[in-house]
Formats: sequence, structure tokens, C-alpha cells
Amino acid sequence: MSVHFRLITMITVVFACLNLFAQLQVEVKDGAVAEYNMAVSPLAVLDGADAARAAEISSAVEKVLDITGYFKILDKRSFLEKPETAFNAVNFKSWLDVGANGLIKGTLKGKDDIELELAFFDVAKGKEVIKKKYSAKASLAKKSAYRFASEVIKLLTGEEMNFMFSKITFVEKKGDKYALVVTNFDGSGRKELYSTSKTILLPEWSADGQKIFFTSHEKNNPNLYSYDLKSSQIKTVSAYEGLNVSASAYPDNKTIALCLSKDGNSEIYSLDTTTNELKRLTVNSETDTAPSVSPDGQEIVFVSSRSGNPQIYKMSLSDLNKIERLTEQGNYNQDPEYSPDGKKVAFSGRDEKYQFDLFIIDLASRQISRITQNQGKNESPTFSPDSKIIGFSSNRSGKSKLFLSNVSGTRQIAVYSGEGEVLMPSWSPAETN
Amino acid sequence: MKQFFNFCAVAVFLLTMLCSCAGNPPKDERELAEKAFADAEAGKDCDRENYLAAEELLNQARAEINNKNYDKAKELFKAVKEKSDAIAKYYREHPDECMTEKDKKGNGEDDGKIKEEDITSADSSAEPSLDPTNPDMDFQVVHFEYNQYAILEEDLQKVELMAQWMMNFPERVVRIEGHADERGSNDYNLSLGEKRALEVKNKLIQAGIDGARIKIVSYGEELPIDPASNEEAWFKNRRAEFKREN
Repeated sequence: MSVHFRLITMITVVFACLNLFAQLQVEVKDGAVAEYNMAVSPLAVLDGADAARAAEISSAVEKVLDITGYFKILDKRSFLEKPETAFNAVNFKSWLDVGANGLIKGTLKGKDDIELELAFFDVAKGKEVIKKKYSAKASLAKKSAYRFASEVIKLLTGEEMNFMFSKITFVEKKGDKYALVVTNFDGSGRKELYSTSKTILLPEWSADGQKIFFTSHEKNNPNLYSYDLKSSQIKTVSAYEGLNVSASAYPDNKTIALCLSKDGNSEIYSLDTTTNELKRLTVNSETDTAPSVSPDGQEIVFVSSRSGNPQIYKMSLSDLNKIERLTEQGNYNQDPEYSPDGKKVAFSGRDEKYQFDLFIIDLASRQISRITQNQGKNESPTFSPDSKIIGFSSNRSGKSKLFLSNVSGTRQIAVYSGEGEVLMPSWSPAETN
Repeated sequence: MKQFFNFCAVAVFLLTMLCSCAGNPPKDERELAEKAFADAEAGKDCDRENYLAAEELLNQARAEINNKNYDKAKELFKAVKEKSDAIAKYYREHPDECMTEKDKKGNGEDDGKIKEEDITSADSSAEPSLDPTNPDMDFQVVHFEYNQYAILEEDLQKVELMAQWMMNFPERVVRIEGHADERGSNDYNLSLGEKRALEVKNKLIQAGIDGARIKIVSYGEELPIDPASNEEAWFKNRRAEFKREN
């Protein structure tokens, strides 16, 4: 398939370029590495369907394609063909004229129960490539659109992406008010789970996505709690004297790695949350913290200042003496996060300008690539469940907001900005239902 | 004492000397006068007025030498010696009285402005909150360098003062809150804040305070004193604070 081939070629070229730092910078600034021009036509609104819902669907498709960094989304105002044009009557020349390589168009019928048809066309070939019909409750309209978008992405890039079906939790801080918040991946559907003036810190999902661990000074000690998303109950998970922070879930859905300072200094432990059995994993007089468990549960990456300043280390959980330092450059590397595919570790590091930026280590090659530069303070990287997108907080445009970036850093967009600062985001596991 | 060195007497003495002129510079008298004046310095706070008068006479005598009025200078040097000897003698005989006078007058600086400042700092009622015998003593904030948990040298005395206070009030329990500046990740800063609080706690324990009376808690970067993003604010925010637990 020529579209496929062409895009893959382009992607290869882009990745080759990204190794060169300066070029990455230029491209991030322009926000335009993508050369595959996608036209997403407004939907035809039929049989009394909700026009606002139709607009929401097409913009959801656009947003998903956009954040992958592989597509340039064309401006609707330039389109020459009416949305109502039938699927079998598309005038491909009019789409070629606006520079489209691909076209997505569709129809929406019904109010409470919807019938959504979406089609993807290869404009150069003048051919319909995918066409789907989704019948569902109106509340599932966006999800239907996501399914379609992921099929288009798979077809054109060969990559399986499911980030659009997941959620992100983060802390919203305004003055001394903290709120634990969950939104969809795109910052929509904000839900406040818990708020307090006594800090909410470092939220992290349980392996099954049903709970969120977080730390709070609610009882004047930084204790670890869990919030149950089904029952809305908050339970104390760990309340040793000193720090109880930085939970990271093992795949068994009952064990967590965490940082405790009960033995006089920040150390990493594993805690079985069903039996409360505790096992100490690090022994060091300097700080060891911020564990992130590998998806197979065999290793953790963590921060240690055992060399004199914070660096990222990897440790085998079956042989605690097998410790490897992953970062050599810079003297302030922290916030490590294992990618769910187990191949990468993202972290934030202080660069030569004393600013915090995001980096990704490829564990096989040990190559470190840079995701952000000259864009304020960028912290708390978190991978989408498909390992394709990174969520993080950035204050590049004033107060701290929730940003998403593709893993090459070529496309970065703000998806949520509240009244306060958006901090410490954590991406949920893949949706299971 | 002051009457004893009545200024009128000096004036009369000087007047009787006016007629005498010429001769050589009074070398011996000068040396004796200068030495006596130097010796009188220890007692200058007993009788500031006469000490200043002696100094003035000494200056006049030196001026007369320049003017070649050697006899006049000679008598002036003698007067300086007499005055200075009397001050020194009084100081030897009444050292306690001198201390009292010294305390009353401040720290013996000549400049009026500085004297005022000295009085202020010597007045213990001006800062009652730093008195470790005061149960309501104000607790001071201890500061740190970036990414460090060693207490700044100039802040060690704050911890020592705290130790004295805890010695004086053995029933009191304190909490040390450790903080970091905004730079760095939240989890690392929680550990750093705790290291700082722990360092202060250990210093108190070394000073003999029971560790059971000292709680610590880290707030990481969460509670800045100054929310700005500059060196000044960061310095203020990297801190350990003492709080009363009871």
C-alpha cells in the first residue's frame, strides 16, 4: 500500500533527523514534522442528530491523530466540498486542491442512540480504504470515534495505539488547596476525587486501574492512601513515621514499591497491600526514592543520590545486588518512569541551563533522547499504556499545565489547564472493559 | 572625681605658662605623656570627660611643637601625663565602678551613632524571644544550600540556641519541618526535606537532647515561604523550621 509505504518512509526520515538535537528543536517549535496531511471533514448531521455532538466527534478524531505527531491536520475553513456529500460521491480533486493526502468524513444519526458512520479515503488514489458503522448510546460517541482513529493510525503507521481509551490523574494545586483529579487522556471529563489543604502528592494507579495511590499530610505525616474509584473510599495503605511516598504498582495488582524513611533515611521497599508484608529493597545512607516497577515486575528503576547527586538506577528484584546506573550526564536526574512496553525509561533532568527537561532512555541501546528543551520546567513524565505518548507537567506558558507529547517530542500540546497548577500527572493502565 | 580634674584648674595652669618660650622640643615629657595617655585608655570609660580632655591637650601639645612653642608644649605634655595618670590610677583602684560606668555608657565607642546602636544590642529586653530561658522563645529558621542537607555554618548557632532551650524546658517536644525549594521532583524533594530535618535533629541529639522529644516531618517543596522563582526565594524556601508539639 503506497500510503503506508510513504508514511513509513517519512517516519524513518524523521527519526533519523531527531538524533540531531538542533533539528529537533526547530521541528518542535514549528510543530510540523508531519507531512501526511489529513483532512477531517465536519460530519453530516442527519435525522435530528445533535450538531454539537457531531463537532465533538470530528474534533476527537483530529486530536488523536494530531498528538501522534504523524499527521498535519488541515484547516477546515479551506475545504471546498460540503460535509453532506455522499461517501460515494467524493470529489477527490477538490481534496487534492487543499493539499490533503487523506480524508476522513462521516455521518451522525440519532440523539440518544446514535448511528455513526466514518470513512477514511486515500485521496491520491481516489479510493475508500476503511469504512465503519458504530451504533451505540450517545455517551459512547467519542469512544467510537477513537476506535476509528486508532484503526486509521494502525493502517498508516503500523502502530497499535490505545492511549485514547485511558485516563490521567494529577494534582491540581491552587494556593494551599490540593485536589486529586482524573480526566480523560485529552483533559476532558474532569472529575475531582478528593480535596484538602493538607497536600495531595504523587498519585499513581493500581495495576488494575481501579485505585489511585497518593500521599497526603492529612495527619501531619506524609502517609500513603488509596482511593477506590468504584466505592470512592479512601484507605490508609502505609503510615510509618516519616515518608510514605512514590507508590508504583507491581503487575500482580497487590504489591507496590514505595519509599519509606522509617529506618532513618529514604529507602525503597516492597509492600504487599493484602498482607502488609514489607521488604526492604535498598540499603544506602543517601536518598533512594521514586521507584517505578517494570511491567514484568522483575526490575525497578529509581532515583538515588548515592553518587553525591540524584541519578537514575535500575535494580533487579530477584538479585538486589544487581544495580546499574542508567544516567551519566548531568547532575540532577530524577522522576524515572518505566514504559509499559518495558523498553524505555523516561525521566526529568536538569540541563546545562539549570532547567528541568524530559528525556527518554532506550534500554536496549542506552541511547538517551531529549523530549523538551527551552520550554520552561517540564516534570513528572508518565507513559500512555501503549508507550506511544508521554504526559507531563510544564510551566512553559505560565502556570503549570498538563501536556502530552509523542515519544519523539515532535508534537507537544497542552490538554488541560485548570484554575491552579497541574502537577504530578500519572497515566492509567489500558482500559480493560 | 570629675571635680577633682576641674577644667578651671587646667586653664589657670596653662595661663601661668604663657610667658615662657623658646628652647628644645620636650622629648622626655612627650614620651611620658604619650605613654601615660596610652595607659589611661583602659580607664577611659570610667571618666570619659577627662579622657577626652587629655586627648585634646595632647593634640594641642603636638600642635605647639609644630609651632615651635616648646615650653608651652612641655607644660601641656605634663598636664596630659597628670590627667592620664589620674585616670589610670582611678581605674586601678575602682575597676568594678568602671565596669558599671562602661555598661551604662555602652561599649565605649566614640561615635555617638555607634554608641546608640551598642546600647540597643546590649539591652537584653530588646529581643526577649531569643532568650533560651524564656519558655516563649522565638524559634529561628535554619537554611541550606541547593541540594544539600548540611546546616549552613552561620545557622549552627540557631540550633545550639534551640538545644539550650530544650535543655531548659525538658518537658517540651518539638517538631522539625524540613523543606526544599521548587527545583527538583516532588518525591526527591520530600526526601531532601527530610534529610534536612534529620540533620537538625541529629545536631540536637549531639547536644544532649533526647531524640524522643524531636519529631520530624518533610513537606518537600509544598510549602514555600516565597513562591517566586529566583535565588532569593529559593534560599528562603530551603529550610528547617522548629514547631512546638506541646
